Amino acid sequence: MSWYYSKNGQQQGPVSEQVLRAKFSSGEISRTDLVWKEGMSDWKPYSSVTELSMGGGSLVGSIEGNVMLPQPPQAGLGARLPMISPHIPSYLWQSIIATLFCCMPFGIVAIVYAAKVDSLLAVQDYLGAQSASDSAKIWVGVSVGIALLIYIPIIIVWMIGLSHLIH
Amino acid sequence: MSEIRWTRAPFLFGIFVVLLVAAYFLRETGGAGWMPGCFFRKVTGFECPGCGMTRGTHALLNGRWVEAFWFNPVGMILLPIAFLGFGIELLAWVRGKSVFRGLHFGRWGSLILLGVMVIWWVGRNVF
Repeated sequence: MSWYYSKNGQQQGPVSEQVLRAKFSSGEISRTDLVWKEGMSDWKPYSSVTELSMGGGSLVGSIEGNVMLPQPPQAGLGARLPMISPHIPSYLWQSIIATLFCCMPFGIVAIVYAAKVDSLLAVQDYLGAQSASDSAKIWVGVSVGIALLIYIPIIIVWMIGLSHLIH
Repeated sequence: MSEIRWTRAPFLFGIFVVLLVAAYFLRETGGAGWMPGCFFRKVTGFECPGCGMTRGTHALLNGRWVEAFWFNPVGMILLPIAFLGFGIELLAWVRGKSVFRGLHFGRWGSLILLGVMVIWWVGRNVF
């Protein structure tokens, strides 16, 4: 798959993934330089493209998910901080809705993890943030799941009741 | 370079219609007979953090703003914020873009939110 990249506002490429990785390793392309290949909806910074950030040619992660693992500082780049943080969802609004609508205290557990995501993002602990994000997602799921288990039968009974009105 | 995903757009419309229908029924009936009520309160006798949202929304839809607020002040403030987060992600999804930042409260914002929620939940059952 051929990649294009943007350097000083100029579109470059196409180059192979190996060449692109090599250019990143040598410092010719930085984390924040935009890259694109066919199939991506938009140009993205190098660091937020999963398959490039995960070392070693792995094509497992989806590009849309753009979860980034932190890279050890490159010798050639000095101690350069990432300019753009990856998108790790905190599931904050989902937690709020789960807390308000599901009648379960589990929503609050989800908010705890959502808060943890933002705390860890603030100190750029992306691995920790990702794990807190996963926990938040699970607790939102538990909360919504239990609510559905309890309420779906009630709603079905209600709908059967409605069908009598139609006849 | 992103373009609208037309196969996804109907979901937007569907969610809008469902919310509209639910709002209509809630305004007319106040949820009596079809909203199941709070399971947590039925079982434990304690109110959950979301108790009062049905009554509050019913009051709101009938134009009784002040009364609506006091059924669940925390929920009445947080629900629109949660819907905002939902809206941002839904629109991005339909437009085929990934949400880059979404709704984040930041480190202190989310801790304050957590504190408010816990104090609200405990407080409403104690006082």
